[in-house]
Amino acid sequence: MRIVVVDPDSCVACRNCEYACAYRQNGDFARSASHIRVNFYPEERACVPLTCMHCAKAGCLEVCPAAAISRDPETGAVEVDETRCAGCKMCLLACPYGNVHFDKVASVSRKCDLCGGDPMCVRSCTAGALQFVEADEAVDRRREAVDARLRRILHLDKAEK
Amino acid sequence: MQVTIVGNSAAALSALDSFRERDQEASVTLVSAEPGPAYSRVLLPYYLRRRLSYEGVFIRRMDDYARLRAATEFGVRVERVDPARRELQLADGRRLGFDRLLLATGSAPARPPIPGLEGPGIHSLWTLDDAMRLDPLFREGAHVMVLGSGFVALQGAWAAVQRGLRVIVVELLDQILPRVLDAAAARILHEQLLAYGVNVRTGTRTDGLETDRCGRVRVSTGGAGPFTVDAVIAATGARPNDALLPECLEPGRTGIPVADTMETGVDGVYAAGDVVRGPTASGGPREIHALWPTAVEQGRVAGANLAGAGLSYAGSLSMNVTEMFGLTVASLGRFVESDGDDVFESRDLPGIRYLKLVFRAGVPVGAISLGEPEGAALLGRLRPFVRQKRPLGDLPAFLEGRDLDWRLLGLGGIRTTALAPEASKEKAACASSS
Repeated sequence: MRIVVVDPDSCVACRNCEYACAYRQNGDFARSASHIRVNFYPEERACVPLTCMHCAKAGCLEVCPAAAISRDPETGAVEVDETRCAGCKMCLLACPYGNVHFDKVASVSRKCDLCGGDPMCVRSCTAGALQFVEADEAVDRRREAVDARLRRILHLDKAEK
Repeated sequence: MQVTIVGNSAAALSALDSFRERDQEASVTLVSAEPGPAYSRVLLPYYLRRRLSYEGVFIRRMDDYARLRAATEFGVRVERVDPARRELQLADGRRLGFDRLLLATGSAPARPPIPGLEGPGIHSLWTLDDAMRLDPLFREGAHVMVLGSGFVALQGAWAAVQRGLRVIVVELLDQILPRVLDAAAARILHEQLLAYGVNVRTGTRTDGLETDRCGRVRVSTGGAGPFTVDAVIAATGARPNDALLPECLEPGRTGIPVADTMETGVDGVYAAGDVVRGPTASGGPREIHALWPTAVEQGRVAGANLAGAGLSYAGSLSMNVTEMFGLTVASLGRFVESDGDDVFESRDLPGIRYLKLVFRAGVPVGAISLGEPEGAALLGRLRPFVRQKRPLGDLPAFLEGRDLDWRLLGLGGIRTTALAPEASKEKAACASSS
C-alpha cells in the first residue's frame, strides 16, 4: 500500500494541496472542502500538512453503524460510501485527528480517498513536502527523524509532562 | 474448536471480524433470534424519516457470513446456556455445542410500571419489526406521543416531525436527554424542539394509558391533563438481555459482569455489548454502557480473546452523537462537573452554539457540543485526551485545530499513514484507539 507522507521541513504553506483537494471534491477552490489541512505555526516558523492516515485500525471504519466505510483493497484507502452513509456522524466522533468532514448539503461524511491511487495533493505540491510512497519503505527509515524534528521545531518536548 | 456467538449486531459482528483476523480454522456459528442478515438499530430512525431505504438499514448480506465462514442459525432463540455440558439449548429443541462462547445478546426496551403500557397502541422503536409497524402509522397530521426523551425517543420524535406528524414528548425528569446533555444544553435543544412545533412536557409523570377500540390511546398525565393520540412510542431506556447466564449476575443488578478480557465468570464464556456490565475508561465501578461504539470495541476485544489473543479492554467511554431538529448533538465522557472540576464553556464559537469541556486537574474528562457537525469532530479530537487522561496543553490552539500533539504524531501522526500499520499492535491500539 502506498501512503501520503509529509516532510514538514519542506512545506512552504502554499496551500496548493488544499486547493487541489477542494477542486477534486467540489470543482471549485473553496478550501473548506479540502481533506488535507496545512497548519501554520508562525512563532515556530513551521507548517505541517495533515491528512487522513488510513489507519490500519481505523476508528471511523470500525464504528460506522451503517457499514458505509470500508477499505479499498487496491489502494488501501479508507473510504466513505455516500450511498450507504446515513449522516449519523459517529465517524467524526471516532477520528482522533479530525480528518472526517461532514458535507452539510448532502448530509454525508466525507474524507480522503487517496483520489483512487493518484492523490491530487501530492501532484500539486510545489515543494516536494508531500510524497506518495510505499508504506514499508517510508516508515521506519524516517519516522524517528521526523518525530525528533517536529518536536524540536514545535518546542513540544517540554510540554511532555 | 467450535466458537459460538449469540447475537448478530455491533458486538457480535465486530467479534466475528476480529476473531477471523486471527483464526481462520475454527468453526464459528452465529445464533440470533431475529431472522436474516444483520441490520443496524442505529439506522431505524433514519429509515422512519425516509433518509434511508429499507435496504439501507441492512449492514450485512448473507454472503458476508459465508465469506467469513460463519455458519448462521438465524430466527431461533437460545433458551439456555449449559456451561457444564458446553451446550446451548435452542427454542426449537436442538442443542448446540461450543468450546468457546460469546454472549452478545444486546438489550431490550425497559418499560416503566405505567398502567396500560402493554396495550396495542403502544410501540417501541427498537427492532426492525418495530420500525415496520410504526411506518404506516406515520401519516401526515397523525398525533403521536413519545414517552421518554433519550436518544431513541427524540430520534423517533424527529422522524415523526419530518413526516408531518404532530408530536408530544413527555419526560418524567426536569430536562430532556438527561443521559446525554447537561441542563444548559438540554434547554437549548428543548427550545429547538419547540421551534419545530413539538409539544415538550418535562417534569411530567404519565399516570396511565388506555387504548380504545379504534386503536387510539388516551393518556393521563400528572399536570398536563388527559389527551388522546393515534400512537405512543415508548422509549424509556433499555435493559440487558442477561437471562442466559443467571449464575453470573450480581444480586439485584442487571448486566453480565465481565473482566477486562470480556470473559464472564464462566471459563471460556465471554460477553460483549449492551448485555455487559464492563470496565470503564475512568476506572470506576463497572457499568452498562449500552452504546454502539462500546459494543464495537468490546466485540473486537472479545473476538480476539476467543482466538486466544489475551487482550485487555481499556474500558468504555460513553460517547453520543446525532443530528436532530437542525442541531448536531454530541457528548463525551463525564460532562456534568463535580466539586473541584474546571469548566470551559463557550456559546460564541463559529458554528458551535454550546461547547462545554469539563476538566479535572487540567485533564479533560468530558464534553458537550451543540450546533454544527464540526463540534462532533472537535469532540473526536478530544477523545484520546479523555481516554488517556492527558492534559490539554493549549486550549485556544486545540479549539482552532492548530494543536499538534507529538504523542499522537509519534503514534501515527505525521508519518502517520506510514505508522498506521505499526499502530495496529493490538494492545497499544486498544488502549489508545478510543
